[in-house]
Amino acid sequence: MIPLVLYVLLASTMFTIGLYGLLTQRNGIKLMMCVEILLNSANINLVAFSAYLPNVNGQVFALFSIALAAAEAGVGFAILIVLYRLYGTIELDNINALRW
Amino acid sequence: MYQDYAYLIVGLPVLAFVLTIFLGWHLPKGGGFFTVLATFAGFILSFGIFREIYPNNEIVHQSMHWFASFNAGILIDPLAIVMLLMVTFVCTLIHTYALGYMEGDPGMARYFAEAGLFTAAMLGLVFSDNLLQLFIFWELVGLCSYLLIGFWYRKPSAASAAKKAFLVTRVGDVMFLAGIVLLYTNMVKLNLTLPDGAYLLQFQTIYDSLTLIPPDQLTWIAVLLFGGAVGKSGQFPLHVWLPDAMEGPTTVSAMIHAATMVTAGVYLVARMFPLFYAAPNALMVVAYVGGFTALFAATMGLVMFDIKRVLAYSTVSQLGYMMAGLGVGAAVGASAVGVSMFHLIGHSFFKALLFLCAGSVIHAVGTNDMREMGGVLKYMKWTGLTMLAGSLTLAGFPLTTGFFSKDEIIVTAFEHGALGLGWLPYIFAVVAALLTAIYTFRLWFLTFDGEPRSDYHKHESPWIMLGPLVILAIFALFMGMPSQENFYEYVGNNFEHYGVDFEELAVIGGHHVEHGAEVHEPFIIKILPIIIGVGGILIAALFYSRWKRFDSSMITSERDPLRHILLKRYYQNEIYTLWFAEKVVYGIALVSNMIDLKIIDGTVNKISAISVGFGGTLRKVQTGVIQNYLTAIVLGLAVLLILIQLASMGVAI
Amino acid sequence: MIENAISLMIAIPLIAAVFAFLFGKAAKYVALIGSLVPLVISLQMFQEFDKASNAMQFVESYDWVPAIGVKYTVGVDGIGLPLILLSTIVSVLVVVYSWGESKRSNQFFALLLLNEVGVLGVFTALDFFLFYIFWEVVLIPMFFLIGIWGGPRKDYAAIKFFIYTHVASLIMLLSIFALYFSYRTPEGLRTFDMLTLLGATGDSTMFSPMLLNVIFFGLLFGFLVKMPAVPFHTWLPDAHVEAPTAGSVLLAALLLKMGGYGLFRIVMPMLPNVSENYITLMAIIGVVSIVYGGFLALAQKDLKKMVAYSSVSHMGYVLLGAGALSVLSVQGAMFQQFSHGLITCVLFMSAGTIQHTAGTRIISELGGLADRMPKFAVLMLAGFMASLGLPGMCGFVAEVSVLAGSFASVQPHMQLYVLIVIFGGIAVTAGYHLWSMQKVMFGPILKKYLDLKDPHSYELLSMSILILLIIYFGVQPGTITDIMGVAAEPLVKPFIAMAQTGVI
Repeated sequence: MIPLVLYVLLASTMFTIGLYGLLTQRNGIKLMMCVEILLNSANINLVAFSAYLPNVNGQVFALFSIALAAAEAGVGFAILIVLYRLYGTIELDNINALRW
Repeated sequence: MYQDYAYLIVGLPVLAFVLTIFLGWHLPKGGGFFTVLATFAGFILSFGIFREIYPNNEIVHQSMHWFASFNAGILIDPLAIVMLLMVTFVCTLIHTYALGYMEGDPGMARYFAEAGLFTAAMLGLVFSDNLLQLFIFWELVGLCSYLLIGFWYRKPSAASAAKKAFLVTRVGDVMFLAGIVLLYTNMVKLNLTLPDGAYLLQFQTIYDSLTLIPPDQLTWIAVLLFGGAVGKSGQFPLHVWLPDAMEGPTTVSAMIHAATMVTAGVYLVARMFPLFYAAPNALMVVAYVGGFTALFAATMGLVMFDIKRVLAYSTVSQLGYMMAGLGVGAAVGASAVGVSMFHLIGHSFFKALLFLCAGSVIHAVGTNDMREMGGVLKYMKWTGLTMLAGSLTLAGFPLTTGFFSKDEIIVTAFEHGALGLGWLPYIFAVVAALLTAIYTFRLWFLTFDGEPRSDYHKHESPWIMLGPLVILAIFALFMGMPSQENFYEYVGNNFEHYGVDFEELAVIGGHHVEHGAEVHEPFIIKILPIIIGVGGILIAALFYSRWKRFDSSMITSERDPLRHILLKRYYQNEIYTLWFAEKVVYGIALVSNMIDLKIIDGTVNKISAISVGFGGTLRKVQTGVIQNYLTAIVLGLAVLLILIQLASMGVAI
Repeated sequence: MIENAISLMIAIPLIAAVFAFLFGKAAKYVALIGSLVPLVISLQMFQEFDKASNAMQFVESYDWVPAIGVKYTVGVDGIGLPLILLSTIVSVLVVVYSWGESKRSNQFFALLLLNEVGVLGVFTALDFFLFYIFWEVVLIPMFFLIGIWGGPRKDYAAIKFFIYTHVASLIMLLSIFALYFSYRTPEGLRTFDMLTLLGATGDSTMFSPMLLNVIFFGLLFGFLVKMPAVPFHTWLPDAHVEAPTAGSVLLAALLLKMGGYGLFRIVMPMLPNVSENYITLMAIIGVVSIVYGGFLALAQKDLKKMVAYSSVSHMGYVLLGAGALSVLSVQGAMFQQFSHGLITCVLFMSAGTIQHTAGTRIISELGGLADRMPKFAVLMLAGFMASLGLPGMCGFVAEVSVLAGSFASVQPHMQLYVLIVIFGGIAVTAGYHLWSMQKVMFGPILKKYLDLKDPHSYELLSMSILILLIIYFGVQPGTITDIMGVAAEPLVKPFIAMAQTGVI
């Protein structure tokens, strides 16, 4: 059996990568991808702990989370498409109509 | 019987005012007969009351509560009844005359409405039984004069004359009000227990408490009240509105200058005479201001060419006499009131007469300028002769009303001097009397004598105008002789009704004059008024009549600075209007405005600008880029976690 | 006897406001009815009012939020009743005057009614919480009246009005909270009850002198801004200049009175317990407002701005009379509130009528209007005369009461203040009124105004009614000053006990 710490290590590595991407990238698609990575790191944790303590709740949450991520991705990409139509770009720095 | 209806004396003219203002536009002559009838009814009522109270020497007093500690009431004593009779009588004649004079003016209804209100206000002033009510009617008189002087409001000069009249008298009113407030305060401090139906500012209460008020306070009160009288009665230095007041119709000038308004100031001082008597310094001020005004105004009357302006200055001058007559009362006590009031009554007859005659002339000739008249007597016999009657009595021709009344004031002024109270009022009075005779006949000769100096309209006025002139002329000439002794006694004893003890007041005031002291009058002093009156007329005849021997240019040339100053009216207009009103007062206003905009509002705007600026700086932090916020959150979280970790390791934070 | 008269009086305009908003074109009829009914109720209340008593009458009290001691308590006494009458009268006349308003008229009339609700609430509320709510309610309709129907700089004026008065009321709110949190009833509960809290301010175990002075200053500041008194007056001219006529009338006639009302209702009962420097402060601010306001009015070129500054000047009498602390002066100050409410209506209506007939309010561009508008000229002249203090009209009675009462007061230096007012204020007041009257109305008519005629009859009607009221209360001030005198007595009693005179 793979020790729990490796799962947690993997999850935190993915979380850090996702967070780094989220903080540094300006491209809408890349941001979406980073968000997915963050979510999935959380999912890994959920599943890992669920298997570790014999409790199925964690896996149920993970499934919810995956479904939610799908919905979120759908809405997010739809917004990006609209933005692309309006501005011709999805570089978020250029989309600043509501900024001071 | 009549006295139960005393309120109608004011009520009827007010009713006439209401009727005229609403119905006048649809009636012939603007509904003027309402006003005439109401005023005449007032005269009948006053006369009825006079018949009732004169034989037993009674007074009428009715009063009711108004608000707070003030009341409204009617007081008819000798002082009031002679004023009521005079005002109603003269105003009836003036209104009748106006029926003819204002004929054809589109604003006739407005004229008679305002004239009715004016009469009502003056009558209300006269029979007030307390100082506050007197002040209220006093102000209403001011309002009506504003409306009437500005009657031809389309004329800019009339509009600004009206404003000037109101503002200048307002300055006096302010002092009057301050006097009332000061008097009220002193009365309050006495903590009087008033009998039922008595109020603090009632004259009776005031007279009763004169002995209790500190003398220095009395002096201030008297001076402030006199300030009001100075404004209303056109005394120096607030006389400037009076000559301008002739911008209104001539009948208005007649009303203002003779029967109503200007006499109010004299009446006030007469009414408050016990108070003045207890404050000899104030009385001295009255005597000197009055005397000086008499002389000062007479000098300007000498050079004016506008017929109404000459008369206006003569009014100022005669009012000065009345004031001086009261002021020199320090020498003779309450009888000064009788003397001064007699001149007031006589003056209102002949001044009304003179103004109406002048109006008649202006009406016919079509100009105010005496240089364009001359020889009018030929075409206007009645006007000319009645005006001659008025001029004789104004000039103090022996045995006319004006002679008796003025003579008595001069005699009193002489006693004032002889008793060591100061000769100046006497000197002022005598010199002014001479000048009066001169300018009066200068006016008459320039207008009626000689040859026509321009092509004016030549016709006599209608009888509705001449009738009042004849009646007034009779009174102006002959009223004085039969009535004077009774009058002095009746009005002079006015304050006995209130139990005013002048001896006691003299002690308070610190008069060092023994009463009843006989003053020896040399023969020359006795006949001096006759010499002056006749001499003045002769001097005028020598310069201006058909028998003229001298030309006025012999004594004054065009470039003479004295003449210039007189014609410029001592530069009062420049000083009061151009300098004081427009530079000083308006200047303060502009500076205040600047302070308000720049400093006070500036501070407010500055505070708001600082807030906005601070917010503007602060909002830069809100970049709108979510990643920046996220960075901050992550860093914050990291710091927090480290701190928690350290804390759990037992490190003191 | 009407049950729940006060609640009814407040509720009816509120309901009418909703209906007016919904009814569109018929809004003005709804507004007329919705303001006439409160007028009838208030007159009925005046009839039934026990004029000899200084207790609260028509009191209604219901629990509202018992947890924090908030109650719905309303009632009137001699301080509030005259102002209620004023509010109902003015509200009706403003509706009549605005009869021709066509721009978004349903909203306009709804806002007028809402304003009446707020003002009536302020004048009757006896619970600080309720009082504050109504106090703020009044701001909203006025903000929109200025912001929507205003002149060219309406946005600036509306915001300035709102923020300035709102900041003042927030400071007032802090003071109210300080009062609230310092006091517990004998049962240990908190309460917002106004009379209880004010009555407790003498209790030094609950209120330290320091705290009380701070509270007092906060309240005073709130009311001074509303009145407005120099130097917190600068929002007023801006608001007036941009506000529509109806807004100006309500602002000057009713909203300013809220400040004075607060002075009598809240500030004066606290006066005996705070530093006496505040008394002097009030009197001095009053004097400065009168004189300085008068000079400011003289300098104005815009007729409406002149009238606005004249309000500052006239409201100074309220402060002076309140600070002088004799029965006559306090009564005069209360009456000044009432009479200024009536008079200023006429002045602002005149300015408004000139604005929409002649197209300008700049005094120097006008001239000779009396020629074409004789009826209007008479009414305007009457209003100006009333404003400059002509006897026979109510302004005179109020001013003389204040001056005479203050002069006879035992407070230090009062005589000096009164003399400053008399010599520095009265003649100047007459000056700017007469000067502007002459420029606007008299003289030869300017060519561009030859086509003018008298304004609509509804405008003349509302002005005439006001003039008649002004004259009525000038001749018969006792109708209303008697109850003011009764109300003034308890306010000055503590001070009269200190010194013997000044009792009239």
